[in-house]
Amino acid sequence: MKNTSNTYKEIMPLRALSSLFKMRFLKIIALLAIILFFLIPVLRLVLLSFQVDNQMSLQNYADILQDSKTWTVLMDTILIVIGSTIISVTLGVFLAWLVAYTDIRAKKWMQVFIILPFVIPSYISTLAWTQFLGANGLYGKMISILPFSLEPINLYSMGGIIFVLGFSHYPLVYLLSVSVLRKVPREVEQAARVSGASGWRTFAKVTLPLALPGIASGGFLAFLANLDNFGIPAFLGIPAQIDVLSTYIYQQVVGFGPSAFQRAATFSVLLGIMALLGTLLQWLLLKKSKRLETTVEDKKPRVYLGKYRKFVELLLWSFFLISSLVPFVSMMMTSLLSAYGLDFTWENISLKNYQFVLDTSPKAKRAIGNSIQLALITTAIGVVIGTAFAYYRVRKPNRWNQFSEIAISLPYALPGTVMALSMIFAWMEPIPGWNPGIYGSVIILFIAYFTRFLILQVRGSITAVLQVDASMEEAAMVSGSNGLSKWRRILIPLLLPSILSGAFLVFLTALTELTVSSLLWSSNAETIGVVIFSFEQAGYTTYSTAFSSLIIALILFGFISLFLFQYLWNRKVANVK
Amino acid sequence: MTIAINQLSKEFDGFQALKKIDLQVRDEEFIAILGPSGCGKTTLLRLLAGFLSPSEGEIVIGNATVGNLQQTLPPERRNIGMVFQSFALWPHLNVEEHIRFPLMHHRFVSDAIKRKQHDRIKEVLQMIDLEAFADRMPNELSGGQKQRVALARAIAPQPELLLMDEPLSNLDAELRMEMRSEIQTLHQLTKATIVYVTHDQGEALAMADRIVVMNQGEIEQIGTPSQIYSKPISPFVARFVGKANLVEGDWNDNYFTPSLSPTTQWPDTGVVSEMKQRNIYPVRPEQFRMSADNQDESGLPGLINSVQFQGKEIHYTVQISNQTWTVHTDVSQQFSLGEQVYLHLFVPHNMEQKNLNHQAI
Repeated sequence: MKNTSNTYKEIMPLRALSSLFKMRFLKIIALLAIILFFLIPVLRLVLLSFQVDNQMSLQNYADILQDSKTWTVLMDTILIVIGSTIISVTLGVFLAWLVAYTDIRAKKWMQVFIILPFVIPSYISTLAWTQFLGANGLYGKMISILPFSLEPINLYSMGGIIFVLGFSHYPLVYLLSVSVLRKVPREVEQAARVSGASGWRTFAKVTLPLALPGIASGGFLAFLANLDNFGIPAFLGIPAQIDVLSTYIYQQVVGFGPSAFQRAATFSVLLGIMALLGTLLQWLLLKKSKRLETTVEDKKPRVYLGKYRKFVELLLWSFFLISSLVPFVSMMMTSLLSAYGLDFTWENISLKNYQFVLDTSPKAKRAIGNSIQLALITTAIGVVIGTAFAYYRVRKPNRWNQFSEIAISLPYALPGTVMALSMIFAWMEPIPGWNPGIYGSVIILFIAYFTRFLILQVRGSITAVLQVDASMEEAAMVSGSNGLSKWRRILIPLLLPSILSGAFLVFLTALTELTVSSLLWSSNAETIGVVIFSFEQAGYTTYSTAFSSLIIALILFGFISLFLFQYLWNRKVANVK
Repeated sequence: MTIAINQLSKEFDGFQALKKIDLQVRDEEFIAILGPSGCGKTTLLRLLAGFLSPSEGEIVIGNATVGNLQQTLPPERRNIGMVFQSFALWPHLNVEEHIRFPLMHHRFVSDAIKRKQHDRIKEVLQMIDLEAFADRMPNELSGGQKQRVALARAIAPQPELLLMDEPLSNLDAELRMEMRSEIQTLHQLTKATIVYVTHDQGEALAMADRIVVMNQGEIEQIGTPSQIYSKPISPFVARFVGKANLVEGDWNDNYFTPSLSPTTQWPDTGVVSEMKQRNIYPVRPEQFRMSADNQDESGLPGLINSVQFQGKEIHYTVQISNQTWTVHTDVSQQFSLGEQVYLHLFVPHNMEQKNLNHQAI
């Protein structure tokens, strides 16, 4: 026993007192900040929808519901969301079943192609599809060769919007279904077979009910994604004068009527109610089903396709090529044309569109700078705050940080247009009567990105912290290390790979963001998404496709770097010889 | 290093995990805390480590109060080492780095060791017999080797108190037996006070100087392994440690009459007064003898309910009236299922008839 008693007398009373006081103080500050940044904007938005001339009133709702245009927009929205969700769920579950249960080969590569439409911003996919199916696209060329005549497909229609939405969001259903399908223990299926049920009956009576939570969660995510998507209906619907709630809110705000903001706020509340109804439906579905207790994914095939395997594989690869590769090739082809509408021949190919985007156009150059800066700052601050919060949330769960997590996830759960609108209301005049010029500068974009995407980092970091058992940390503490050295030598090396995945997702989403920026941008504060959108709206398709191709190259480069880093890091940690 | 635990309580959200525990641990003692899951033994260990702070009472380690209601000395400021149930090895550090880590950070490492860090690492590697594995990563080690690395990390800084949280429960049966003697050897080598938490009475009986039996947040009994085994002071200890049958009946001075058979009289084989007050005779399974006929008419009649052949002995359950008792016999005598048998209490010839008081501590 050395001088522990001295250490104790010197440090303990002080430490105990000051830390208790500091912790309390910090907690209150953090909670206030969370309420200010994450909750108040939404409250202000809801409040505004009930205000006319600073008086509480239901007039906004009465006006809007009496307008026949509102009902067209609502009907179109419902039709588009239901149609595209059906496509997403069907495609997602079918592919998930094939990958989870059958003996098809190269599943990892298929997975890459399935995820692809999800990581590429939906407005870029839309551009790609329009270039593929458009009059001068590869599809047009293909059908003109055919001996019989086929109508070219017009994507600028209800059907087109439904199709592109459905194809962009099926990965959500796939990802959640495939993991839950793999978790269904094969023994329960075998038990059903032994009890006399046929293969199909077993699937319908045992597998499907057990997998329902995963499928329903995936379907719900696809529903929300289809409901709040802005890029696809903006690129395809606005030229065809088809409006859904998200684009209609956008047009209200940019149209600047006398009561534009009130009307937009009211529509936003309607959109929020629709999202809530979806959540309710999912909750009702899930309440009846039992959660699986298995946590291990069984990746061995259960269904052997035999002689049909080659045929199924061929079909799948054709599907992946046509849905995930050909459209982007078509887009790149357009971007290389010296003028839109020309044939893709050697003399018509030039890099001048790329030169315009990277060098000539000051707007595009500014946008690249702004977006990179915004994405970097959002990611850097997000990593620190998100990981600190995730650590606290996992290691010391209580109702305050549970409440905080819900608050932090709110801006991401809200449709982007609604979220952007609430940002305007909250930050135009943070204190009524005082306008510090946040709205109209790049700062509002930063605040919006940070509040919207923080939850992505929090989720990534929570996964990371959950993977590191508390005893790892306790072992460091009894070894005499706490605070800085514990983080530096034990926690950060163990957490880093998963934290980086979260950070990469935040960076990518922020870099290519369109919905929120389209309402919050101002001159000199454009973002990449906004500039591509404006090129496309003005008819400069060669510029928008060139810019989009650049972004895709950047995304691929980022993915490969992240993959390489994690591979090398894991090899260093695991020290595989 | 001595430990004094006075009136220690711990509450989690209204659940009383520890209820006013008192315990004194002597210097260099190997003490086992034994109890079923949820009895509070791990809570007690975590309070000793400093991962939890007391709701009431105090903990004194050496001559410093390390925890009471107002303040808790954090783990990194206590002179302790700890071995975790899950081993808690760091996947990104190799064996040598695991041993170096506490040497670099532990506040109570002696100057001699600090100066010759490399020698100490070598010495510890030798002690756990892993010299050839110094640069292996945790995922390249077997379960037993991982456990030895965890032990090495805990003892490397020469802590005066070593805490072990069910360190053998993640190993297979054979390895567990092997590690018992290794831990005993380490105890002799390091001279550290050891607090060893386990739910396995075999481990506690085999290794500990004294055993603390805990149940529902309270200490049931403290004593040497032989006291705990042969002189349990509560029905719980008798059942949990000795797997004893708690025979009900009446105690008269120095003989016992089971209520199932008023004509039978069992002599006192040293049953403690606490059990006598409850009118219980704890009989461990191996203390029964069985016979097929009832010559002296002192046997309790019963039916064989189940037979489990174990190799060197046979485990029976016997139905007597509406109760089921467990009986272990050697293999020389075999009964079959459904057979009528008579149970007798085995009394050693040199049995001292006087009542031994258990040693109060």
